[in-house]
Amino acid sequence: MSALLEVRGLAKRFGGLVATDGLNLDVQAGEIHALIGPNGAGKTTAIAQIAGELRPDAGTIRLAGQDVTALPVPARVKAGMTRSFQITQVLMQSTALANVAMVEQVRQGHSFRLWRPAARDERLLAPARAMLQRVGLAARADVAAEDLSHGERRQLELAMALATHPRLLLLDEPMAGLGATESAAMTALLAALKQEVAILLVEHDMDAVFALADRITVLEGGRVIASGAPDAIRADPAVREAYLGAA
Amino acid sequence: MRESPRQIIVLAISFALLAALPWIAGAVGRPDFVTLGSQACVMAIAAASLDLLMGRTGLPSFGHAAWLGLGAYTVGILAFHARDLGPWALQAWAVWPLAVLVPAALAAVIGALCLRTSGISFIMITLAFAQMFFFLFVALKTYGGDDGLTLRRRSTIPGIAPRDDVAFFYVCLVALVLVLLLLRRVAASRFGTVLDGIRQNERRMMAMGLAPFPYKLAAFVLSAAIAGLAGALHVNLFRFASPDVLHWTMSGELMVMVVLGGLGSLWGAVFGAAAMVVLHAVLAQWTEHWQIVLGPILVAVVLLARRGVWGALGGK
Repeated sequence: MSALLEVRGLAKRFGGLVATDGLNLDVQAGEIHALIGPNGAGKTTAIAQIAGELRPDAGTIRLAGQDVTALPVPARVKAGMTRSFQITQVLMQSTALANVAMVEQVRQGHSFRLWRPAARDERLLAPARAMLQRVGLAARADVAAEDLSHGERRQLELAMALATHPRLLLLDEPMAGLGATESAAMTALLAALKQEVAILLVEHDMDAVFALADRITVLEGGRVIASGAPDAIRADPAVREAYLGAA
Repeated sequence: MRESPRQIIVLAISFALLAALPWIAGAVGRPDFVTLGSQACVMAIAAASLDLLMGRTGLPSFGHAAWLGLGAYTVGILAFHARDLGPWALQAWAVWPLAVLVPAALAAVIGALCLRTSGISFIMITLAFAQMFFFLFVALKTYGGDDGLTLRRRSTIPGIAPRDDVAFFYVCLVALVLVLLLLRRVAASRFGTVLDGIRQNERRMMAMGLAPFPYKLAAFVLSAAIAGLAGALHVNLFRFASPDVLHWTMSGELMVMVVLGGLGSLWGAVFGAAAMVVLHAVLAQWTEHWQIVLGPILVAVVLLARRGVWGALGGK
């Protein structure tokens, strides 16, 4: 059985710095695969290449068997994968609802309509409201993103990624900056998502990683030093030395 | 972009005053006010079209004068050749659409090149293209070179006498109202919300699956087309097309109008344009260095009212 996401021999260097060094990675349908490693291990660089924002120097990326290595970001989203950002990227001046409705509009196509007003279009608003409900933001639908709390913006970020109806979500530190209760809520939310969407999760919050991940890949210096089930990773001496031991 | 009650009152009063301008001008014995009003309408159309790019899409084009000038020269050059081309070359119904289409077609090509860049590079490359047109028309001696091209009579509109300045003022006013209705409609459409999203966060738009380029190009072309209409009115108003209309200072003035009025609000561009035209006329009466006064006013507006005159009216 071929994996949903297959990364083979991915390499990227910035001048003398090797950020990604022959990365191989599989994400199966229906699993949460965590990508961990110390700061500077190349996790975010790897996500950026998989999402299509950075062009790799070598290697291939396949999504459900289709080679997407040369596709730009929007085409990869249409092919079924999208990312969330470590530093929240939402439309700050728009309301939460308008943010998600915008994703819905892009997903449906038809953005070259110049005449009919978009703001009261139920074909966009109804699915957007449902998505906000799902991430627990329904009560804050009409608040501008810039007036949302940090935690609420992380929820919005997730809602926007989900609204593209991806088969694979690339989540770059969804817990970043969240308090303990917010983290727990986000963890529960991600666990519930597993039924329908595979997730490649980059995260520093080890409690969340071990609670969620079916498999874990550990990066160091752009290279995979270990990959396997959470228990095996926890016990791996190389990992303990490189990363967990320090924590 | 819902207007506050105060803004609606100001809008209503402004347009009522504008509609009554010929009577007011007659009552105070200043017929030149009518020309001033026409000029304000024409510049407001140009500024509103630039606001679609600058304010809504976040593309600070520093070459908008090119489209204004191309629209003006399209009308001027066709009239110049009217003897060979036939009487249609003097008819508004034939010439004005061409003054819209010529800039739009060129904007499709030039925009496709300019939009490969962003930020400062975009400002510089749009400026460079506009200056290219400026020097082209300075060099075209057939069409007057830097002396400009005189339009012997205004484009013919059935039922309107070509020398009737009041009638022409109403033509400009109607054009302005139609352009504003169109731009408002576009702003609220799905297309308009995409432009708004691109301005706010282009990276996020791409992560939604949107390829921004076609939308930016469409905005660029639409904006140039409307500026072309402003150019057609401009050359008709003064019966004169000169390379000055294409000069980078005109592009700069249009940007100042948009910023003065308030970016992205559409009405702001209209008020900014009107304010500039009126300030110019008033200040130029007592000093030729009128920009010495304009400068501090602009600084004050930018510092005190970040969202421009129109934004300040809206409160909050």
